[in-house]
Amino acid sequence: MRNRLEEIRKLRGIKQEELASALEVSRQTIGSLENGRYNPSIVLAFKIARYFDMAIEDIFIFEEDPL
Amino acid sequence: MKPSVKANLYLALGILGLAAAVAARTFLSAFFNDAQSGAVIGVGAGLFGFGLAKWLVGRWGEKNPDLMKQNEIEVKDERNQLIRSKAQALSGEVLHWLLMAGAWTAIFFNAPLWVTLAFVGVFVLKTILDILLMAYYQRKM
Repeated sequence: MRNRLEEIRKLRGIKQEELASALEVSRQTIGSLENGRYNPSIVLAFKIARYFDMAIEDIFIFEEDPL
Repeated sequence: MKPSVKANLYLALGILGLAAAVAARTFLSAFFNDAQSGAVIGVGAGLFGFGLAKWLVGRWGEKNPDLMKQNEIEVKDERNQLIRSKAQALSGEVLHWLLMAGAWTAIFFNAPLWVTLAFVGVFVLKTILDILLMAYYQRKM
C-alpha cells in the first residue's frame, strides 16, 4: 500500500513531531508510515484522515498485486 | 487513579516487600525452613526493587509531565507494540527449538534421562500452550 502522507504533511507545513503528537504516536511511526515500511491499523488510518480532514482513500492508495 | 496516589501505592508495595524479606530473615525465620525463608526473601526483595523503581519513575513523571506523556506514547504506540509482539514471538520460537536442540545435546552427551525428558517436557508444554492460545485468539478475534 502506498500513501501520500509525507506529501500532504509537507503541503500543510506540519512537522513529523507535530503530527505524531496530535495522533499520539511516536515520530518514528510517522517516519515509517511515510517511507512505506509500516502500514497503519485501520484506527490510525482513520485518525490520520480525520486529522487532515480527508478521506482515507485520498491518503492511502491500495494497490493489488498483479496475478 | 491520580499518578501521585499510584506512585505512593508502589512505594507501599516496595516497603511491604522489604518488610517481608526482613521478617523472613529475622523473627519469622523460626517458622520457615531455609528454602521457604529464601523464597520469601527473594519475593520480598523483588517486590522492593519493583515498587521502588515504579515509585521513582512516578516521581520523575510528576516532575517531567511532558517526558512522561512522551514515554506513555512510546509504550502505547501501535508500531512499537507490533515490534514488541513480533520480537517476543520470534524469540519464543527460537527458544522453543533450542529446547529440542538441548534434548538432542543431552542425548549426545549421555546426560541423565531426566535432563532429556525435562527439555522435551518443556518443549511439549510450549507446543500445547501455543495451540491453546491460538484457539483462544481464534474465538476472540
